[in-house]
Order: sequence, then C-alpha cells, then structure tokens
Amino acid sequence: MLRGGVVGFGRMGITHFSILNTHPSVELVAVCDSSGFVLKNAIQHLGVKAFRSFDKMLGTMGLDFVIVATPTAMHADVTECAISHNAHVFVEKPMTLNPEQGERLLELLKGKNLVHQVGYAIRFHDVFLKVKSLLDSGAIGELLTFTVEMNGPVVLHDARGSWRFKKTEGGGCLYDFASHGVDLVSYLVGPPDDVVGTVFNRIHSASVEDAISSTFLYRNGARGNLLANWSDPSYRKPSCRFEALGRKGKIIADFYTYKVLFHEAPEVAGYSEGWNEGYLADIAEPVRFYVRGFQFTRQLDYFIDCILEQKACETCSFEAGLCTDMIIRRIRTDGDSRRSHNGQNHTGR
Amino acid sequence: MDRIILGDNQFFGINHMSEEKGRSLAMRFRDTEAIIRVIDIAYACGIRAFMFNTHDRVEEICDHFRANPGRYADLRIYPSMPYAHKYANAIHEKGLVGALNAFVFSGRSVRQVATTVIRGGRTVINKNMVEVMKLLVDAEMRIFRGLTVPAVFLQNIVTDLLLGFGAREVFVEFARHVKRTYGADPAFNTMNMPALVDFLLASGIENPIVCSSINKTGFLMTPSRHAYERALAQKPFRPMAMSILASGAISPKEAVEYVCHLPNVRAIVFGASSEEHIAQTVEMISSNWNIGVSTRKLADAS
Repeated sequence: MLRGGVVGFGRMGITHFSILNTHPSVELVAVCDSSGFVLKNAIQHLGVKAFRSFDKMLGTMGLDFVIVATPTAMHADVTECAISHNAHVFVEKPMTLNPEQGERLLELLKGKNLVHQVGYAIRFHDVFLKVKSLLDSGAIGELLTFTVEMNGPVVLHDARGSWRFKKTEGGGCLYDFASHGVDLVSYLVGPPDDVVGTVFNRIHSASVEDAISSTFLYRNGARGNLLANWSDPSYRKPSCRFEALGRKGKIIADFYTYKVLFHEAPEVAGYSEGWNEGYLADIAEPVRFYVRGFQFTRQLDYFIDCILEQKACETCSFEAGLCTDMIIRRIRTDGDSRRSHNGQNHTGR
Repeated sequence: MDRIILGDNQFFGINHMSEEKGRSLAMRFRDTEAIIRVIDIAYACGIRAFMFNTHDRVEEICDHFRANPGRYADLRIYPSMPYAHKYANAIHEKGLVGALNAFVFSGRSVRQVATTVIRGGRTVINKNMVEVMKLLVDAEMRIFRGLTVPAVFLQNIVTDLLLGFGAREVFVEFARHVKRTYGADPAFNTMNMPALVDFLLASGIENPIVCSSINKTGFLMTPSRHAYERALAQKPFRPMAMSILASGAISPKEAVEYVCHLPNVRAIVFGASSEEHIAQTVEMISSNWNIGVSTRKLADAS
C-alpha cells in the first residue's frame, strides 16, 4: 500500500482525493489546508490526519507520495519539501510560478529516483490522445498552421476574492486557465521558436488578464495561434478546441468530437480519404472510478503505476511542466511589452 | 415510481456529442416558453414525470407550473442537485467557503447568488459537512416549493466525489433529510453505479433509487458494462437508466430494446425536444415494457 497525502483541498484537491481514495493500492492518510472548515470535516468524514502546515505533514506522516493542489504560488515550496522527504510528487498545473522555480525542482530531483508529474489532464483525454497519435504518425503531413482555443464562463463577474485574481499567486487567465492550452501546444506540436503578437485583455478582473491571444512561430515556417478567454458566457463550461492544417489533411478536435480530413487515401488504418469523424462515446476507454472525466482518473492511475513499477513518468513529467512554464513566460513577456488593444494598462505592471 | 421521465439536458445546451449541437439547443431554448412548449408536448404524449437539474432557469419553469395548478395537477418533478457548474464557478470566484456561504445564506434565487457578497457573522465555517449539505438541499428545494417531488437526486459529480471520500454519514443524512423534510425518496445519480449501490446498501440505505448511464456501448458505465449488468441482476435497488443512446452512438430502437430487456430497470430518463422524438421514444419504451401507449395514466403504470 502506498501512503499518500493531499496538500490544498480546493476543487482539484477534493477531486484527486476522491479518485485516489478508491485506488486499491493507495491509502490516503493526510490532508493539508488552510481552512478550518476543511480540516474539521476531513478529520470527521474522511478519517485522515489534518494539517495546517505541509512541512509538519511531510515531516511526521512518512508519506510515499504527495498531491500538490494549492494555489500555484505555493507549488514550488510544497514540492521542494516533498522531494526533501523523498516523496513522489504530483503537482497541479501550472507547475510553478516561473521557470527558475521549475529548474530548481528538477535540480533537487537529480539522483532521487522519485516519480514527478504535472496535472495537465488533457494529455490523458481520449480525444486528444487520438489527436496526438495522428499527429505523431505524420498522417496529415507537414504541419502548416494550428489553433488552440480555450473558452469558458469561469469569471463572469467583477471578482477579486480568490487567489485566482492575484497575479502574484498564479491567478489570471494565462496561468490558471490558458496554461492547459499552452501545454497542449507543447504536447501536440512542440515548443515554439518564437512568441509574438500577444495581447492581454481585461473583462472583469481588476489585476489579471481575462483573455489572451498569442502567435507561435516555428523555424520550419509553421504558425500557431492561442486564443483563450475565461470570461465568455456563451460557453456552458470550459471548452478546448484544437485545429491543425497539414499538407495532407486537417484535424479538428474538442472534448467530445474529432474530425479528420485527408486529401488522399491515408496510410493510417481506420481512416479513409475525405472527412472522418469520431466521438468520445465511441473511443472512451473505461476507467476504474469516474469523477468529472476519464482523464482525471487516468492521469492519477498513471502516476501510481509509475511509482509501483518504479518507472519514470513519460506523459507529463516535471520536464514537460517546465517546458510549458517556459512558453508561459514568453507569452507573459511578449504580452507585457505592449499595451492591450482596448487601451487599458496591460496587466504586466 | 414513474417509469418514463423526460430529462432536461436538451433545454440547457448540454450535449455530450457536440458542443455545436449544445449551442444550437441553447439558442433554441433561450426563452423559457420554448421549454414549456416541449414540456406540454411531452404531457400530450402521456409523460407526467420530469427531471430537472437545479439550473438557474428552472425556477422560471417552476413558476409557470405553480401559476397553472389545474393544468399541471399530476406533474411530478425529480430534482437533481446541485447543478454542478453553478457551484464550480462560484467556488472559482469566491473559494470553497465563500461559495458555500453565498449559497446557504443568500435566501435569494440562484441567479442572484453569484453576485451576492455575504457579510457579518453568518458562515458555514463552524458547521460540519452534514449540516452544510442539509442547508444546500433546502436552498435548492426552494425552487420546487409547492410542487410534487417524489424523489430528490444527488447530482452525479457530488455523489461520486462523496462516494470516493467514503463519506457514509453524508449519504445517510441526505437520505434521512430528504425523507423527513420533503417526504421524498432519496435518489442518486452516478457514473459508478455498481460501487455506489454496494456502498449505499452497506450504509443501510435500503432499496435506493440509483440513476446511471445504461447503454449498449458501455459509455460512462464505470468500471464496465458487465459490472452494471451483474449489479442490475443481483442487487436490491431501484435502477433508473439515463444516456441510453450513449450520446448518439446507438440507434434509438437498439438502445431502447437493450435497456428494456435488462432485469429490474425501473425507469428511463431520456432527453428529446421534438414531438416526433418524444412520441417515438415513449411508444418504443411502452411497447418494450408492455405498459400501454400514451395513456394519461402512463406515468402511473409502475
């Protein structure tokens, strides 16, 4: 049995706890949070030890692994503490506030033989796994242009209470929402060679951006666009759409559907010339326990498998997390270097 | 228990096959009147039972029912709560405790809640999860005041989170509260039916109503279709089937035949928005279950 603890018991912390608590090889024994309400109920209803200090939790509980689901600003400190106690670490996205923190974590991991993973759950989503394998097979030929769009009705009021509206805590649309889209670029296409034309817009938030557009350039001539907006009430829930045009065809995908166009009969099995269409309902691989989406269970079960089988996490390691944090830094720097188009002061100052 | 229930996903732009289709449904049903028209069509097809998530527009639909008591005298509502995205967004904006405070203490319609800032000493901080759960149920049940509610469903994300927690007391107290306060059966939506049924039975919740995806392709049937079929055949509970079409992966005829011939399925919740589809589905289920077609008493045929 692997003994685990969860640091940060918000929306993702409770999801991870629920999923791992049903894993046959896992015993969750500790929760750490700053809220008295959470701690009291964790003791009463979850039968775990509750801590206000992650230092104390890691120092006393002898944990095999830790799930870090705090506000982003705390990720580096908690993860460093976990590494120092030789605990395997799963950290929510984005990995850290800046690449320097990420580089330090990787330095600390050297020679440690610990499993490390970042919670970019879309990498474990059935539809995007399909897209990844299609792109890797070269089926649509040389990539020419692509778009990643992320939209959602996440922030629809002028709000400032939560850490998600403080830039210093890792709030804002870029870190907290669009990081999934940035990571998808890194995962599906690779890191861009240049980031240009970034614009941040504020819609409701006083000190962070609510919408982003950015252009990614590649040395081979390919171009990508990221469009993200967490204040779009026309969406019922957060959505992610990927579209890629290659010389031999096109892929369009979201959480439910994928469409693939081939100009000629493709070499990959199961597809034909012209439009091909597939649905999540047709390709979803079952998981052992389902909360909020297949990908959440799949990423955690993969993390546990890596620990049990003593293998390195290949799908979304800290190296991948750092790569995404570096792209985020370039977007931030590019966007902060110009004024947003609606005349507001940009969010970088 | 009603055997055929019309669900509400189609009214609120929820479509698990296509976001575009979802959006076009949301456009079609942007006026509550358009929703009422479909409800009236379902009524004409013999349906008397409706499942509503506690979406912020459901209050307007319920106002219409309350304003026309003669017309909807035999209407039965199966609420499913909470509408998860409402809470998810509030938690995002206010944090967990802030969101709970807003929902529990606002006493306003859910539409207004998101913009409510709670001041003063009233807070959930000093309460435990069970007390908060009861306050949330009461807040959501205000939407359905004065209407007939045979069973109250715990929405699947919450059910499955709590199932993962193993929070036995919360399930037991939810069941007791719903029964005592509203005279309704406790009921549960889930994506993990076999595990939930075992857990509820082991917790002493007898013959529970459990609504889950049941379809021929095994979509959203965790851990497997086989485990579902075994639970249906062997466990003492009242199964209700949803997502029978697996988001369109199966033809309606095949879908209905599969579900209707499984042992012990007590009810089917389905979503449709045209007269043709509603009438067809009612006809198919009725004939497969041999419960008579489109009579005014159809919904009582259990």
